[in-house]
Amino acid sequence: MRALLVDDEPLARSELRALLEEDATLTITGEAGNAIEAMQAINQQRPDVVFLDIQMPRISGLELVSMLDPGQMPHIVFVTAFDEHAVRAFEEHAFDYLLKPVSAERLGKTLARLRKTSATAGEAAAPPDYSLLPGQRALRQLPCHGHNRILLLPLDAVESVTARLSGIYLVDTAGQEHFTELTLKTLEEKTPLLRCHRQHLIHPDQIAEIRLNDSGGADIITRSGQSVPVSRRYLKPLKESLGLG
Amino acid sequence: MLSQQLLLVIQLLQQTCVFLVIAWLLSKTPLFTPLMQVTIRLPHKLTCYVVFSAFCILGTFLGLKVGESIANIRAIGAVLGGLLGGPSVGLAVGFTGGLHRYSLGGPTDLACMISTITEGLLGGLIHRALIRRGRVDLLFQPMLVGVVALAAEMLQMLIILAVTRPYATAFAVVDSVALPMLTANSIGAAMFMRLLLDRRAMLEKYSNAFSAHALRIAARTEGLLRAGFNEANSQKVARIISEETGVGAVAITDREKLLAFTGTGADHHLPGTPITSEHTMQAIRDNRVVYADGNEVAYTCSIHSECRLGSTLVIPLQDADDQVIGTIKLYEPKGRLFARLNRTLGEGIAKLLSRQILTGRIEAQKALLTQSEIKLLHAQVNPHFLFNALNTINAVIRLDPDRARGLVQNLSTFFRKNLKRPEETVTLADEIEHVNAYLQIELARFGERLKVEVDLPYIYAQVRLPAFSLQPIVENAIKHGTSHLLGSGHIRLFAEAGKKADTLLVHVEDNAGLYPPRKTAGDGMGMGLVDRRIKARFGSEYGLEVAFEAERYTRITLTLPLGSVDA
Repeated sequence: MRALLVDDEPLARSELRALLEEDATLTITGEAGNAIEAMQAINQQRPDVVFLDIQMPRISGLELVSMLDPGQMPHIVFVTAFDEHAVRAFEEHAFDYLLKPVSAERLGKTLARLRKTSATAGEAAAPPDYSLLPGQRALRQLPCHGHNRILLLPLDAVESVTARLSGIYLVDTAGQEHFTELTLKTLEEKTPLLRCHRQHLIHPDQIAEIRLNDSGGADIITRSGQSVPVSRRYLKPLKESLGLG
Repeated sequence: MLSQQLLLVIQLLQQTCVFLVIAWLLSKTPLFTPLMQVTIRLPHKLTCYVVFSAFCILGTFLGLKVGESIANIRAIGAVLGGLLGGPSVGLAVGFTGGLHRYSLGGPTDLACMISTITEGLLGGLIHRALIRRGRVDLLFQPMLVGVVALAAEMLQMLIILAVTRPYATAFAVVDSVALPMLTANSIGAAMFMRLLLDRRAMLEKYSNAFSAHALRIAARTEGLLRAGFNEANSQKVARIISEETGVGAVAITDREKLLAFTGTGADHHLPGTPITSEHTMQAIRDNRVVYADGNEVAYTCSIHSECRLGSTLVIPLQDADDQVIGTIKLYEPKGRLFARLNRTLGEGIAKLLSRQILTGRIEAQKALLTQSEIKLLHAQVNPHFLFNALNTINAVIRLDPDRARGLVQNLSTFFRKNLKRPEETVTLADEIEHVNAYLQIELARFGERLKVEVDLPYIYAQVRLPAFSLQPIVENAIKHGTSHLLGSGHIRLFAEAGKKADTLLVHVEDNAGLYPPRKTAGDGMGMGLVDRRIKARFGSEYGLEVAFEAERYTRITLTLPLGSVDA
């Protein structure tokens, strides 16, 4: 089993690592100190299980879960020192969680259970429905990477989203592109952004004009004058959600 | 001769009628209330004496002149005074009535005076005898009263015969007046008592009805307004009052608006609308009952010109300090009279509801107090911090046991200081010790992610400030500030002399700039509280200020008096 440790406190990570290293069947693929690093690590390392702290800067553990693609969701074990609200939700929906300081015995039980689920259900195991958790509201800020720094782009600063081979890019109102770990599917589901093309999303408030073309598709001209293609397949649903259908 | 006597009987009975009419009229006044029971207390006895003496004199006054004497009905007052007031009142009434008769002169004056006193005494003695035997009920029997009056009159005749000289005169008088007086006095006395009994029965019926209404309203509204003086509860109460009193309409208001209305005119007297009635405003302003009967005091509905309501009674609802918190209003439609019962009842209901509202407020206050106590406890225990600290120490034990021991010391210092009573003042040095214990743990917890710089000149160590002023602010700077930074957090804690003489500024600055000034935040040990406590202690020129630039810094500044060093 491959595990990723996510906690903003270095000592908390080191303690959990020390406990997990006693289990020979488990490999720690990496550590992350915040949700954005964690998202990157999850996408790159594809761990089976993520030990996820709830209280983290800017994006909490619960918010991170809502940003992950449900189709590629690893198993999540929440870790918290004191959060009555979240713990109540974990109990209610039988999600795995650990209380800090983590006791070796409790951790052993969690690992035993994890091994059992992955052995019986294999790869086909359906992930728990994390949308039942508190804090799963629509995303207001989108984490992305600028030059050498991490950025939280407010949703209303985004005009469109473009998928390339190298990854997903948010295009802001100034025309600048920002790499993000969020998938198109997550963005489509958790924000008001609308799909207009297999590779593009558009912010409905940023549409200035829709120009129909000969091939049955169209081009959107944004408020800042950029052009975003609309494929034939998405034109009708797009017009419907804009109330033009 | 006999026919002449019969004529006199009828004439005296006519006089008795006049006497009784006067008695009936007086029975409508509160003067008669004490007469309806056996009187024991002095004020009641006094009333009894005054009233029956008056009737005694009236009895003489209404008498008929027969020759040189008067055929009278004086005995009624004397006998009843004695029967209802006891021997002393009987004697006093008899004496007063007798003296009055004596002053009128005539051959029988002395005899009449003696006999009137005797009659009063007789009534009194029978009163005492019956009371001793526990037969108070018999005292109010008209038949008994009639018999006593008959006996008293017979006694009078005998006394006239015995006292008046010459005997021939006495005999002539007795011969002519005996039959009329025996008849009129016994019938008169009996009827007087009947009158008292009727009056008592009516009053009892009235107060029974009153008590029944009042008790039912009290029982049915119990606890309703205690749960809160609002529209929903007021509407329930108004409906109950309307059902129990049967008045045309019932309204309940607070100081500004109508809370509930039920009955005639409910279509335009809408709950939630502001008060427009001049009478209601007057009741609230002057804190008194306002009664507009639609006759002497005009009443017209202030909302709708065709409203059928014609009179209103507005009674203020008062809180513990007799301040008006609202009104209850009873209405009757035009053409219907306001029952007096309902007016008195209305005032009683207002008292009852005021009490309920008050009880409710006290209960709510108690609950609030408990809540804030829990909040304070929560702040003292600070569970979020505690569990994170334990987790940190847990990790440090593995890596560096000596450092872990130091952190345990810090943790115990922190909680020891936390459990101090917050009303104390402490020195800045004390407060820094608290802050330091807290910071050591946070520094271990966040590692590289937190840097703290403290620059507090030693000369300010003895400046006093309310306990828990600085630590919560440093905690906020981390909890709501640097802990949300993806990069490294910096906290600066420094002090400087203020621009104004003898003031000290203590700054707590973080590099997050994430929490805008929210002094009103309901956070138990929050900034608003720190500000209020400093101001309460040192005056309004001191306190807490917030400087803030989004994403750059938040700086909290405490302004403290330097002079409080020796306080």
